Amino acid sequence: MSLAAEAFVSQMAAAEPWPENATLYQPLKEDQILLSDCASSLAVQTYLRMCGLPVQVACRANAEYMSPSGKVPFVHVGNQVVSELGPIVQFTKAKGHSLSDGLDDVQRAEMKAYMELVNNMLLTAELYIQWCDDATASEISRPRYSSPYSWPLNHILAYQKQWEVRRKMNAIGWGGKTLEQVCRIRSAFATSSAQFFFQPTELDALVFGHLFTILTTRLTSTELAERIKSYSNLLSFCRRIEQSYFEDKILSVSLSLFIPSLIPSL
Amino acid sequence: MGSVHAKSLDPLPMHGRDLGVNPDDVIEAPEPEHEAKQEILENKDVVVQHVNIQGLGRTKEDLLGYEISEVFLAKNLIDVMKKAHLARQKLLRLGIFKDVEVLIDTSEGADALPNGLDVTFEVTEVKRLTGSYNTMVGNNEGSMVLGLKLPNMFGRAEKLTFQFSYGTKETSYGLSFFKPQPGHFERNLTLNMYKVTGQFPWSSLKETDRGMSAELNFPLGITNHTLKWEGVWRELGCLARSASFAVREESGHSLKSALSHTVSVDSRNSAIFPSRGALLRVNQELAGYTGGDASFLKEDFELQMNRRLFWDSVLSASLWGGMLYPLGGQPSCIADRFYLGGPTSVRGFGMYSIGPQSEGDYLGGEAYWAGGLHLYTPLPFRPGKGGFGDLFRTHFFLNAGNLCNLNYGDGPRAHLQKLAECIRWSYGAGIVLRLGNIARLELNYCVPMGVQSGDRICDGVQFGAGIRFL
Repeated sequence: MSLAAEAFVSQMAAAEPWPENATLYQPLKEDQILLSDCASSLAVQTYLRMCGLPVQVACRANAEYMSPSGKVPFVHVGNQVVSELGPIVQFTKAKGHSLSDGLDDVQRAEMKAYMELVNNMLLTAELYIQWCDDATASEISRPRYSSPYSWPLNHILAYQKQWEVRRKMNAIGWGGKTLEQVCRIRSAFATSSAQFFFQPTELDALVFGHLFTILTTRLTSTELAERIKSYSNLLSFCRRIEQSYFEDKILSVSLSLFIPSLIPSL
Repeated sequence: MGSVHAKSLDPLPMHGRDLGVNPDDVIEAPEPEHEAKQEILENKDVVVQHVNIQGLGRTKEDLLGYEISEVFLAKNLIDVMKKAHLARQKLLRLGIFKDVEVLIDTSEGADALPNGLDVTFEVTEVKRLTGSYNTMVGNNEGSMVLGLKLPNMFGRAEKLTFQFSYGTKETSYGLSFFKPQPGHFERNLTLNMYKVTGQFPWSSLKETDRGMSAELNFPLGITNHTLKWEGVWRELGCLARSASFAVREESGHSLKSALSHTVSVDSRNSAIFPSRGALLRVNQELAGYTGGDASFLKEDFELQMNRRLFWDSVLSASLWGGMLYPLGGQPSCIADRFYLGGPTSVRGFGMYSIGPQSEGDYLGGEAYWAGGLHLYTPLPFRPGKGGFGDLFRTHFFLNAGNLCNLNYGDGPRAHLQKLAECIRWSYGAGIVLRLGNIARLELNYCVPMGVQSGDRICDGVQFGAGIRFL
């Protein structure tokens, strides 16, 4: 979005209060959504709950293509369509809802840096596992991603997506990495960032979205979840946010990818 | 005797270029100056002994056998000339010869009969590969179009065409293979593969289609039939960020596999400015039966009748209608629905700007009808009569139509009622210019009436071009 358009959007946004019928769009929960999209969607939902803004979740098979940036989730608020956590945070701020107002400049800069880190590390690692690990890609990602489409479009779209992600991975130098290396990167990140969460901010929403999704999603390898589970501070962080904002029921509905046995361990 | 007469006919002109291939041309009686001799020749029995074709390269002879076999049936000289001329036109129609010349001579050799004739077709084949290059500007986009054609690829009038368009915004291409049945050129098979991108600003919609189709054309009595299967992968997207949410909801990929059948009867004497005759075209399409995501049944028809009145003026009436019936409980897609309005359909309204809309984006409808009544007259005072002026007509028109969505549970009476309420109509006058025999340009002064809220109108002067018009 150009600067002028962004300014215009935020001005428009400020004029209207948050409506009751705001809707968040994501891919189909049962059959389609993938780990990374699920994590991003949960992060946005957590953030909006932290702000106390009501939002309905709608599942659409074409959510990815409906989104103006091509990424899920996106929210439809009044006449506005805003996608991804960063712009949504900006958007709510323009409407007068912000979680990071209490932070000073240094803390805010640090928070932004950590959010970038999460996106660069956790999200990239999730994408790597989904599309670059052959077992996961062929058993989970491709069949789920293409489930709404009929033959032969399902194969075309799934391979097109995989090729696109792999090209991106090669461009940032992740192409040659092994699954184990990726897991190590993630857990290294997890330890370093674990001390940051004193008060709820968008960073907490983002980290919670990713960690919770990783912990509760069945993948071909459980190595990643095991690594995160070995950090008790991360587990208690996840449990705390879940209890404060989701009161058990919503999440078990919104995340169908559960391994139920994991819940008590949280 | 025969040889003497025949010799005098030796330089008989059947020169290709002079005669042309226009089917409107009447076959002229050859050689009026030989009238005195024709009396004798017309009644004189002749036998066509040999028909030779010279100049063949890659063309297979069995294909031409069907086209020239009629010549053998000729019983007298005039007949020979007429049949040879027809055969020549049939050969040129195949599109594989640049030029065909006919020579008629007395038979020579051991088995020559005294009244035997030899007919020789001297043909020049078209090149193996022809190319074209165009630049096009329009729709806020410039593009470069490269075309390649391989006529007569396997020697039996097959044609392979490739077109590639490279634009500042979009790239499109199409590959098409055409194969006629030998001896029945009108019965043919076409295979297509393509990628095309279209931008529809009236709906804020962008569509990219990648697909293939197979098409069978054949005449049956006076009707022409087309059977077609098409498999197309469609990608819809918003043209701008400001597109309405109703259009945004339609974004994404879908696969359409459709069988369609078109039947048409056309007795008009011209496709653009007919002065008599009628056209009826009925098209039906069934999607989803052969796979894919889209499933619907679509019917539409087009009827046009023309009648010549006084002073070369023509009264023309047309009626269009169509209905889309979604199958399998899923709603219809924005790309399949009908659109109405614009300078060549219901004049006086904006391009496809009638009917259901959301935030200024027109969503199309599942049923429509439109009718038009035109009075075409030559230009006032007929400047350029018999030449340039004949490319123009003035016309007075009355158009009407409606586009809406039907509630299919309600029954036919409710449907008719729905289609009969909120009718948009318009009247006006203007000038029409014929472009070749396929398209026309119109400059009209229109007065739109029956405008409903949400319709975009064009009150006053409206300019438009089109190949299909009401």
